Amino acid sequence: MTHATEPGPAGTRPPGRVLLIEDEPNIATALGFILRRDGWRVSTHSDGATALDAVARHAPAVVVLDVMLPGLSGFDILSGIRASPRPDLPVLMLTAKGQAKDRARAEALGVNRFMTKPFSNRELLDAVRALAEP
Amino acid sequence: MALGLKQREVAAAAGVSPSYLNLIEHDRRAIGGALLSRLAAALRTDRATLAGEGDADLVAALRNVAALRGLPASARDQAGDLARQHPRWARLLVAEAEAHAAQVRRIDALGDRLSHDPAVADAMHELMSAVAAVRSTASILAQTPEIDANWLVRFYANLDEDSRRLAKGAATVRDLFDARPGEAETNLPAETVSRFLDASGHRFDRLEDDGAGAIPDLVAGIVDPVAREMAAGILAGDAADAARLPRGMVDAAASPADLFPAAEGDVALVLRRMGARDPRRGLMICDAAGAVLRSKVVAGFPLPRNGSGCPLWPVYAAFSAPGHTIDTAVEMPDGVVWRAQAVAALAPPPGFGRAPIPRATMLLTPVAGAAVPDRPLPVGPGCRLCPRGDCPARREPSVLTARLDNTGDAMNTSTDT
Repeated sequence: MTHATEPGPAGTRPPGRVLLIEDEPNIATALGFILRRDGWRVSTHSDGATALDAVARHAPAVVVLDVMLPGLSGFDILSGIRASPRPDLPVLMLTAKGQAKDRARAEALGVNRFMTKPFSNRELLDAVRALAEP
Repeated sequence: MALGLKQREVAAAAGVSPSYLNLIEHDRRAIGGALLSRLAAALRTDRATLAGEGDADLVAALRNVAALRGLPASARDQAGDLARQHPRWARLLVAEAEAHAAQVRRIDALGDRLSHDPAVADAMHELMSAVAAVRSTASILAQTPEIDANWLVRFYANLDEDSRRLAKGAATVRDLFDARPGEAETNLPAETVSRFLDASGHRFDRLEDDGAGAIPDLVAGIVDPVAREMAAGILAGDAADAARLPRGMVDAAASPADLFPAAEGDVALVLRRMGARDPRRGLMICDAAGAVLRSKVVAGFPLPRNGSGCPLWPVYAAFSAPGHTIDTAVEMPDGVVWRAQAVAALAPPPGFGRAPIPRATMLLTPVAGAAVPDRPLPVGPGCRLCPRGDCPARREPSVLTARLDNTGDAMNTSTDT
């Protein structure tokens, strides 16, 4: 389920790794492309049930996490991250639902940033960079 | 001349000549204002009844419209004048008001679907996911100066695929909402069941005759299997009720109290049976969450099919004291008084150590004449359609924001009942 990282543009110094947990392949392709162009190393993962294993394996600087995933929801994965050895790992959640109750639930679980689809590429890149800053 | 009064006596009391009164009686003179009031007093009736004689339904409908739109009582008393002097305009006004109320109900139903219908939620999720993919990919193509040819091919292919998803998703959403009038709610099983019950006025004589054995035939016309099963469950309850309180006994009863001994103290059973059998009475059953499980609407007292009604209705207060019957008079904004009898009953717990499930039942009976109590509780049809601006229980604004004023005076949306 996890796809190999493709190298970023020559000359850029990768600031770290972003784990993109998203089951929509075309969104994952587009987000992976722009993140790499921005200098990130990127791993993508499409299955909710094994997403926590991917988090442990890739040790990302930031997780970009879709809410609606097969196997395990983004909320469940966020809970798992907060209970993991890296409870402070920055998580940016993406949702196509955008309902206030989803945002409230994500915030209650400790999400760092919550974005509603559709979003602009620039907005997402800025959010990821902001989350990665110490 | 009614009441055995002589024409001369009535004319004298009203301050007109007998010949002029004769013209009025034969509809050769239109009357209104103070003369109408004097004549009404002489005949020991009210202005609306006198003016609307021959079309009482139209007068009542006009009074209802006036109350719902916040006109004061003095303006409501002109309903009879309007019905008598301008009947076509009056009927048009009533029709427009009814159409408006129907639109509000439809908007509420669609709003409810947006929030709760899983089919709508899934369709919107698919649509927004496709939009997100298209936007992100299109931005890359528009804003990235140099893209490898292989990536270009991939992005164009993705764009093509996502644009097809977008078109399909848009068509799905359109189909969900582009229903024929009255059909917008057909996807929700509870609403299908409501329409099924309404179609027969909640009376199923075959259940009375044949018991639960008639249920499969009765519900066979319901296409949606979930709705069909729900309807069968309700009818099974009705059949059991009918076995405990037979139709002859219910139809002969003048009031719920008459059935109390035969029902062995089961007040909810009495209210259900009278509500289901008597076309003049309304019936509402809800759970402790306020969700409507059954509503039999009767003209003049709009009950919700789903969602919530007026928080002041006794059916909700009944939950505070299960087993205790509330018997009180309530007044709708149109001035019509209803006797509301409500009780909450606890169903046996589903298991040891589990809480019993409460349900409340309310029977509504119109009250008229001397039976109207002095101070009925002011209630409404639910906040969205209620003109009572000063209600302490209001939870949201009314949609009745348009202000009618044919006198030039400013009016608010509250009633002065």
